[in-house]
Parts: sequence; structure tokens; C-alpha cells
Amino acid sequence: MTSSQPRPPDVTVVVIVYNDAGRVATAVQSVLDQSLRSHEIIVVDDHSTDGTPAVVERLAAEHPDVVKFIRLPANSGHCGAPRNAGVAVARGRFIMFLDSDDVLDPHACRNMVAMAEQSEADMVIGRCVRRDVATGKETSWMPWLVQSKVVYESLRDQPELLYDVLSTNKLYRHDFLTRENLVFLEDRLYEDNLFSAHAYLAAKKIAVIPQRIYTWNIERKAANQSITRRAADIRNITDRIIVTRKIDDLLEAHDAGDLRLQKDIRFIENDLRVHLSRLSILPEENQRALVDAARPYLQTLQEEAFRQAKPLPAMAAYLVREGDYHGVAAVHDYMAPRPIQPHLTVDLVVRDGRVYWGDRHLDDPLGREVLDVTEMGFQDGPLSKLRIGARIDSVHRDGDLVTLTGSFTNPVGRITVEAAPKAQLVFEERRSKRRVFKTKAQLAVDEQRVGWSVTFTPEKLLRPIGLIDPTYSLRLHISVGGEGADLALFADEDVTETLRLPTRPKLSRLTSDLLQGYQTDSGNVALRQEADGSAAKVGSAAIAGVRNTSFGSRAWQRAADLQRSLRQRRNNRATKLAWYENVFLKMPVKKGTVVFESHMGKQFSDSPRAIYEEMRRQGIKFTPIWAYAEHPTGFPTDAKLVRRNSWGYLQALGQAEFWIDNQGFPHDLRKRPETTYIQTWHGSAFKRMGFDEATIKAQTETQQRKWQSAIDRFDYFLVRSEHDVRTLTKGMRVGAELLRSGYPRNDALVNGGNDSELAKLRKKLGITDGRRVVLYAPTFRPEEIKRRSGLELPFDLDEFVQRFGEDTILLVRPHYLVSFALPPAYGHSVRNVANVHDVTPLMQISDALITDYSSLMFDYSLLDRPMIFHVPDYDNYVGSSRGSYFDLGSTAPGPLTRTSEELIAAIADLDGNATAFAGKRREFVAEFGEYDTGQAAKAVVDRFFRTGDRRG
Amino acid sequence: MAEHRDVFIICNSINELGGLTQWVHDISRLFTARGHRVRLIGVEPATDYRDFGSDLPYPTFTLHPEQLPRRRKVTGTAALNPGRALQARKRQQIFEGGVARLNEILRTASGPGAVVIASQVWAGEWVAAADTKGMQVIGMSHESFEACKNSSRYNRVLKFYADMDIHLSLTDADADAWARAGMSNVGAMPNPLMTVPKTLPTLDEKTVVTLRRLSHDKGIDMLLEAWAVVGPQHPDWQLKIFGAGPDEQALRTQARALGLDDQDLFQGKTSDIDGALSSASIYALPSREEGFPIAVMEAMAYGLPTVAFDCAPGIRELIHDEVSGGLVVTAGNVPGFAAGLERLINDRELRGRLGSAGRESVQRFTPDSIVDRWESLFALLDR
Repeated sequence: MTSSQPRPPDVTVVVIVYNDAGRVATAVQSVLDQSLRSHEIIVVDDHSTDGTPAVVERLAAEHPDVVKFIRLPANSGHCGAPRNAGVAVARGRFIMFLDSDDVLDPHACRNMVAMAEQSEADMVIGRCVRRDVATGKETSWMPWLVQSKVVYESLRDQPELLYDVLSTNKLYRHDFLTRENLVFLEDRLYEDNLFSAHAYLAAKKIAVIPQRIYTWNIERKAANQSITRRAADIRNITDRIIVTRKIDDLLEAHDAGDLRLQKDIRFIENDLRVHLSRLSILPEENQRALVDAARPYLQTLQEEAFRQAKPLPAMAAYLVREGDYHGVAAVHDYMAPRPIQPHLTVDLVVRDGRVYWGDRHLDDPLGREVLDVTEMGFQDGPLSKLRIGARIDSVHRDGDLVTLTGSFTNPVGRITVEAAPKAQLVFEERRSKRRVFKTKAQLAVDEQRVGWSVTFTPEKLLRPIGLIDPTYSLRLHISVGGEGADLALFADEDVTETLRLPTRPKLSRLTSDLLQGYQTDSGNVALRQEADGSAAKVGSAAIAGVRNTSFGSRAWQRAADLQRSLRQRRNNRATKLAWYENVFLKMPVKKGTVVFESHMGKQFSDSPRAIYEEMRRQGIKFTPIWAYAEHPTGFPTDAKLVRRNSWGYLQALGQAEFWIDNQGFPHDLRKRPETTYIQTWHGSAFKRMGFDEATIKAQTETQQRKWQSAIDRFDYFLVRSEHDVRTLTKGMRVGAELLRSGYPRNDALVNGGNDSELAKLRKKLGITDGRRVVLYAPTFRPEEIKRRSGLELPFDLDEFVQRFGEDTILLVRPHYLVSFALPPAYGHSVRNVANVHDVTPLMQISDALITDYSSLMFDYSLLDRPMIFHVPDYDNYVGSSRGSYFDLGSTAPGPLTRTSEELIAAIADLDGNATAFAGKRREFVAEFGEYDTGQAAKAVVDRFFRTGDRRG
Repeated sequence: MAEHRDVFIICNSINELGGLTQWVHDISRLFTARGHRVRLIGVEPATDYRDFGSDLPYPTFTLHPEQLPRRRKVTGTAALNPGRALQARKRQQIFEGGVARLNEILRTASGPGAVVIASQVWAGEWVAAADTKGMQVIGMSHESFEACKNSSRYNRVLKFYADMDIHLSLTDADADAWARAGMSNVGAMPNPLMTVPKTLPTLDEKTVVTLRRLSHDKGIDMLLEAWAVVGPQHPDWQLKIFGAGPDEQALRTQARALGLDDQDLFQGKTSDIDGALSSASIYALPSREEGFPIAVMEAMAYGLPTVAFDCAPGIRELIHDEVSGGLVVTAGNVPGFAAGLERLINDRELRGRLGSAGRESVQRFTPDSIVDRWESLFALLDR
């Protein structure tokens, strides 16, 4: 390094500090360690009262050419004044900012300067990473803005930059700051927001690099919270709004009114949301004050901002605008971020066939739009996914008996008396979840809310061990018509305090004698062991005494860490696989055990189910094990159930005599030679499959080998035609013996099904009149899987209902990977059948099918009923990139329709279809279903399971 | 700004057959021509030997006189075998010997600003262990991020390149992917175009050509499938595949099964690249994995339009689909590849347009401009 400094350094990093003697040296060191050596550091102390000045003075003395120290004469209270003071004396050609509790990446300056010079941009943006100091967990800040190296000519090229208002993960050309007179506001919080907005608007070019630049350390429960973290405070929200108004003025001044909408949306989705989070735990007058502080500004926002912002923040913002602070609190309860437990408390209503977030504000057209939550699927999504939260309203003690009462919302009246809902109060050990106590709860169902109450004797029911299980979670498990859900419990502080349940731990009452209610970090109610009586007090004081010695606390900590790491290690895939390989596969095979799985455990359905039922019918002696993916609801009660990828699952597979599945057990699980794998598969192929598919063809040798070895596990593979042999089995390079038996699931389509079961299904779906039933069952498109709205019907449902609603019921069956929510308005003539496990009975009860490219077409043709192929995206879907095995247009046993009008016309002519395509349907069955003769399940069972001539 | 530096380039072997070794010698020659003092260092002797000449203008070294024992993945109880630990220790001793030898060579640096370039990940392990204090250390991955991610090299890059001054990918898109994966010391440096065509193709010869190793990653199997669709439609056209490799027999069998004449298709190895390219009208690049393919640069230099799978960002960096250099097809989409070949076969005008636009655009990578980029990189690392 040169001694005197003839030329200015490349970068000046302005480090601001206030009472942070503990961390400022780390921040400064991260700059001293920069790979770009041409830098200077200006530390500006906002008049700290701790040891900060001494620390920084020492650093300045150690690095006199690099570190400069400025101490403000008085505390400014904000970040603006110190940053301005730093910039005022900076010599670098470029400026960066760093806060004393954060650090720069070692290559931050070099990467930023290189990009600035290459692009000649006025400012460069890099990746900021938020790091949770307690756990070390890191998450990228707005990662979508820093995906790749790019240069924008102006903010208009990427208005979303407005989302990133930090001033710290950026580099500014010094003469740009001077030229535009860019300074921080000195007397307000959120000075970053204004500064960044100003810089974005004024910059001639803005460059972005994907490299990590800045680590933002987040301390969750720090006593010394950084200035911007105390969010739930009136002053904060007031400052935020003042700053936001100034940004609006800036946009105006820079003739950028068109960006205002973008900024408003950002304000709704981010800023306002931060200030109002956890509103419901504040006293009512504070709730009102906060909402009132924000309300006047929200009244100035354009309505479009409420329409375009994400639905939940938009609802909260709209309710702020209306001054409905209860409503705002409820939305925040529902969208609460981790670790808070989100919960639905509001009573939803249905108006004119759509679902709304409560019954208020629906006279206002904007309110109707914003509060419409039909697409969120409260009306037909799984009950377990609705995040219903239950309240505990009172705790009553009567001798040994304790009674808890409370209520929860009844979502769109889905819980009915007829469905005979049941409930249990469940106590579960929070850490290992190994000890569980349950007691039955009573429910009182009402259309809007459900009341619940439990009466029990705590000392009898609750037998914790003591010491090792200090906390228990509490939830209400409800089951309604074959569906289950776990409801977290919430209570006001005074109720939580009265939740005192006497208990007798197994390690005696010296350890504790009481389970006391408390509020977890997630906001719900849980219980912890405490001492109440004198024996317990003495005992726990003694234990606490030992634990408080340095040896005791270390030993305790060590034991806790060990337990935690064991638990983590136990549940990772590598450990499980090692056990599977070295233990389960070496234990003896259990004769007669058959593991069944359908669609990776998502359903009890398809050919595995048909084989299972045939075995039951024939009275074969075997041990069935069914795998389920998420919830055992809907799976048979007379079989052992294991959760997919659990320990029990791995052991079952390791020791099974038979594997029967229609898609593929996890690829990394080897099959032992003694186990017979019958792969039923789940459909003939229209699209190219396996090694005929581009994605698999393009794989590396190793990837292809893995894929192939998963396929090579099959011992037998079921086919339903020579078409399968030519296409599917060849594309997948199936080496297994082909069983030309047809599909067991299709036996019912050929033979006709179980009439009483079909009648039950009709009743469950509310098909009680003589109307015609049309099944709509499309396959999936990749974009639908992640999309919030899931399946969007490619035809006009209103038109359908209007034309055919009186004599037709439409069943909508999305692909099992795609979600779908049906507005209640269509309830009269449309049903969402996403949650019916097995599609075969749905085919049986329907009179016609509308599909697209789904392999369902091959199965449905066996019924010899009219079929329509609705393919608006035919060219795109079948186009050269995917490829198909045959031409749908010339082969399909029904008309291809591409517009809603064509589809409606085709539905109007189902009778004509039935006769016109009769010949085509016969040809289609002959080509694709020749082996489906109704004997498949029997053939499979006879071959492998008939008593007397069992193999081995 | 010509400041002359000591440049140490380390690769796996200095005379291994293949594109990377060719690049190493090319860049050494170019640096030497600019006055830098280059030392080219190989870790061990080659497996497939190729002679790069004896009158090289820079000294070469090989750290280990014999090939190192290979590391094998050990699972289960084999890990407890004491013999294995012994072997590992022995290998470690050999490795340390190699590092010591490397340190000796590095100590011959005669001034400040010395640069050490690890051109391959394996060789990078020696560089990471060597004493490079005061030197600029550069690690390179001569393949796309995706290709690296799918290989065992990925974790080694994260481990051995993390503390280097910079880790260079072949394209900005690959460097961005590394940045997203958490590496901040990343940048990009493309390969130089070393080819100067002697004869330009007329684009009227009815020949599709490819020059490549016959191995899975080069995707010849997919080219054969595509040709089985296109070839019979155009019996006057022929496909010529130059090269050899481990999959040759399997590919010949596949070709016969597809009804193609393997004798005509497989032309064997050739050293006459000029002859092969100048007598063709279309170049085929059916690879599964690539970095910044020299083959495409060469084809572009000859004004040959290419049909390529979109298997790495380097492909799109070179070929601007439908505009210059040729046509790019979704990776693995064989029918699409066949359709691309067919379009170029049927359209002489398109061949000419894409070919000449490609010839112009590939001039971005002339040796002079690439060495300029290297020198400004050295200057940046000095700051």
C-alpha cells in the first residue's frame, strides 16, 4: 500500500453506529477485509453513551490511512444525520453504507465497483441476505430482484425495484449523490425509503448484480432493538406515512406519476402490513389509534392499488381505509408470518354465490371486490387447510373437574349437524411429540359458529413424566364427514392465566404438580409444568438449584443439545436410507405383507385399490399396508396405514413380500430380490413418456441410470393394449414381465360397479334428481401446479350453467396436483369433486366426459358414452416440444373443441355424439383397451395370491 | 498498460486429449505473446496422450511422475477396512509431495502481480493447498453451472474455489447461477476463438457434420434418432460424424437398429478440421452438457449454421436463435432437433443468412479481445 494517498480511494464505506461497542468492530473489520483494497471507512457515531467511541478510536489508530472517525455532537436519534455526515467528508469515487450490526461480503466492494465501471450506472444493487442471529438461518431479501446481472436504463424498466428500499445493499457514484443533492432525511424514521426512491428516480442507469453484498443481522428478541424494529408504535406509522407522502411528491416532481400505483401496491403489501402485524394482541384503544393514524393516507390511494395488491394485504388495507380495526386484526391473524400461528377467526359469508370475508362493507363495490375470497377455496378446500383457530372463552373448576369452553368459526356453514361432527381436546408433548393425552369434546353447531366444551379430571387424564417434558401443546381435533382438522387454541391473557391444571408427573410431584397455561411465541395457548404445592416448590427449587450451578447448566444444555441433534439426525433422509439399507432390508421378509400405494400416497384409489378389494373379496389371508401422503382420512380402516417416507413406511417396504403401486415408490429405495414388485401403472400414454420425453432424454448418464434403476425394480408391469407395449413400456424401458391383464381399476367400468356405493356417492355429491351428469376431467399444465388460482376453467361456466343447468350437473375433477375452488354460486349445477379419492366411480355415475389429453380418455371409452375433447391449447401443448404418440384429431372418439362456444355446442349435441362416434369409440377401445375385459383384478390375484399355489 | 506478469496455469495434464488442454495451450501461447511469463503445470501424466509439440514458447511441468491413485466412494462396512485408511494416508503423502513441488515452481515468480490459474477443479485442489500468498488465485470451471451441479465437482468447487480471489465461469449466466448458489467471488471469461478458416464452405454441399467424442454427454444417440427421421426424407444428404469414444460400438448398433448405415455415418477421428468443416453445410451439436463450446465457435468462424440443444447458457451466448449462428432447440427435444435440421436442409437462403451473421458475431471472441479482458481482470484483482 502506498504511504500518502495521491488518488482517491475507489469506495468510501460509511459505517453508522449508536451504542454498539460490541459489534461495530466486526462491521469495520468486514470492510478492512475487502478484496478491493482501494477503500476508506468513515465511522460516524451518533453520540453513543457506551464504549463505542473507544472501540472506534482504537480501530482508527490501527488503520490511520483507512479508518476515519466522526462523532456527532449530539444524538440525532435516526440513521439520516450520521449517514449525511459521513458522505460530507467521503473521498471515494463510490459510496456504500453499512450499519454497525451488519457486515459486508468480502467481495462486495470489488463486485459493485466492477459493475459500476462496466455499466457506467449511477447506482448498483446487490443481494442482501437476512441472517437470524439466533439460528444462523439465512434468507435472501427480495431475491427476485437480484436474479442476474442486468442494467436498467431507468426505474421504468423495472418499477419493482421500488420494493427494495434499503439504502445499504447498494453502491452510489459519489458525483451522482452530489449532482442530485441526494441526502437523507434527518428527523424521521424510514429515511431509507425516501432516499432510495429519490435515488431510483434520479439515476441515469441502475445496475443489478446477483452476488451477495450485505448481511443484515436480525436479532429477534434483542433488548437493544435497532431503531426501525419497534414497529407497533404510533410514531412509527406516522413517520412512515409522512415519508410515503414525500415519496409521492417526489414521483410527481420527477414526472413519474405512472409509478405511483406500483408504490401504492408496495405500501399495501409491505409497509402497512409491517406496522399492523399482530394487531389483535394490542388493547382495543391502541388498535383503533393505529388504524386511525393510517386511515387518512389510505383514503388517498387509488382504488386500483387495492385491486392489484395481493389479496390478503389488500383486504387489510381496505379495512383500514374503512376504519374497521376489528376486521384489520382478523386479516392479520390469518396472514400472520412465521413463527406466529395463522388462524381464521372471521365469520365468512356467502352472498350471491360468492364467499366474502365477513358481512360488512359489501354495499361498497370496491369492498365487494376486495373482500371476495371465493378463490381461496374456504367453501371446498380441505378443512385441515383452512387454518381455523378455536378460542378458549372460559375455564371453570368444580372440585376435581375442569371445564373448558370456547368456540370457532364455522366456515361457510360447512360443519353441519347432519355430518355428525366429533371433537377431541389433544395434549401433546411439544418437543418429541411422543406423549399424547386426549379427551372427548362436545360441540354445539350453529351456522356461523361452533361452540365446544370439554369436562375432564386433569389429575387422571394428564400424566406427564416430569423434568424431561416441561411443555405440552394443546389443540382441538375435529372430524366432520370423513374429514379431519387440527385447530390451534387461542385465549385472552386473563383466561390463559386461569388455565391451571393439577397433575401428577410420573417422576413424582417433587418435579411439578401443575400444568399452567401460557402463550407461545406463535401466539397460541400451551401448557407448562410448574410448581404450586409446597412439595413441588421445594423439589423444583432443588432441581433448579442444581441446574443453576455452572456444571449443572452445562450438563443440562449438553443433554438438550444432544437430544435435539439426535432428533434432527434421526429424521434426515440419509439416516433413514442407511437404516433402510443396513437394517430393514436385512430383517426377514414378512410373508403375506403387501404394501399398497396409489399416486404417491395421495389417494386410496386406482388399480392398487381394485387389487386390494379383490383380495378382500376372495377372502385371501394377507397383511395389507396402505401408504398415505398427508392424512389417513379416506384410507381403509381394516388395513395398517403408514405415512409415506416415515420410519414405519420404510420398514414396511423393507420387509414386504409384495409392493403394489401405480406410479413409483421413492426412487432411492432399493427393492430386495425376495420382494415382488407389481407395477400397475396409472394410464396409457398420449404424450411421450420416459426416455421418449425431452427432459429425461437430456439427462446425464448418472441421472438416467438412477431413473433406469428405479424402473428396473419392477418385476411385473400391467398393460392394457399393444399400444402400451409399443409406447409406454418402450419409452420407459421397462424390463419387467408384462402382464397383459388390463387395468384392475377398469374392471368396474366393464362390469358395472357396486350400485349401493355409487348411490352413496351420488347422495354425497347431492346428485339426487334425474339430471344428466357430465364429468370434466382435464390433465394438468405445469403452470397450474404452483398458481394460487390452480385450475382456471377454459370455458365459460356461466354460459354452461345458463344453457344446461336445469338438466345437467357438471362434475369438475382437477388433476390431483392442481387445486380448484368453485364459487358457491354454481352449487346448483356444478360440483367440485377434487376431494373424491377415486375417479372410477365418478366416471361410472357420469353420462358423458369432457377431457383434453388426460389418459382418462382411454378408460372412459370402455363405458361407450359420449366424449368431448376440449383442447384450446392443442398446438402449444402437443407442439413439437412435448410430442405425442398419435394424432388426437384423427383418433379421438369424439369432437375436438377449441373455444367455449364450440364446447357448448358439442355439449348441446351429446345425443348426436353418442351415435356419430359409436364406431370411432369401438375402434378406440380395440386399439387402446383390448385387454380391459373386466377380469384384471382377478387375473392378478389368481396369479400371485390364490391360496394353494402361492409362490415360494 | 502492458504490465508483464508471472502466470502459472495448472491443469490436470498438459497433454491430455481434449478441448480443455487445447484451451490451456492456446491461452498460454496468447499470454506469452503479450510478454507474460507463463508456466504451464500439469498435475499428472495424461491418460489419452496427445502431442502438443515440443517447441512450446513456455516451460511446462508435471507435478507427479505417475498418475495418482483414484479416490473411490466407499460405503457401508468397507469404510472400516484399515487398508483403506492406509491407502488414503499414502495418497495424502503423494498429494503433499505434489503440493511441495508446486510451491517450488510458484517460488520462481520474479515480481509482484503473479497470477495462479486453476483451469480445472481437480487441479484446483493442489492450488488451494499451495502457498499462494501475495498472488492472485483464479479458479475456473470450464462447463455450465448445470453440468457442474450434476457432477461430483459441484461440492469441490464450493469447497476449493470459495477462498480464491475469483472463480470464473464461461458466461455471465453461469456466473449468475453460481452467485445465486451463494458464491460471491464469481465472474465470467469466455474462451478465445483460435480458428482462422483456410477454406470457407459453399453451403451447397449436402452434408451435415459434427466433430465430437462419442460419449453420452455429447448426445450422438439423439442426433442418430433425429437423423433417422430426417435422413430418409433427404437421401441426397449425408450425415458425417467425426470422432471416437467409449460409446462407439453402442452407437453403431443403435444406428443400424434405426436403419442407418453406420459405415457411412462414422468417419472416425480426423485431424483435418478445416477439411471437415469446409465441405459441410450444417453443423450439429446434440450435446447434453457443454460449457462454452469451441465446436460451435469453430463452426461459426466457418460460417456454418448450427442446430444445437439448449443445454448450457454458453449455447445462447454464441448462437442467437434464428438470427445468427443457427437454431437452438429445447434440450432433449429430438423431434424439434430433426425439424431444425430439416429447415436448414430445405432452405439454402436461411443457411447463408444464419451462417454469415454467425461469422460476424463470433468475432467478439478474437484472441486479442479475450486477452484484453484477462489483463483488465488482473488489474481489477490488483486494486
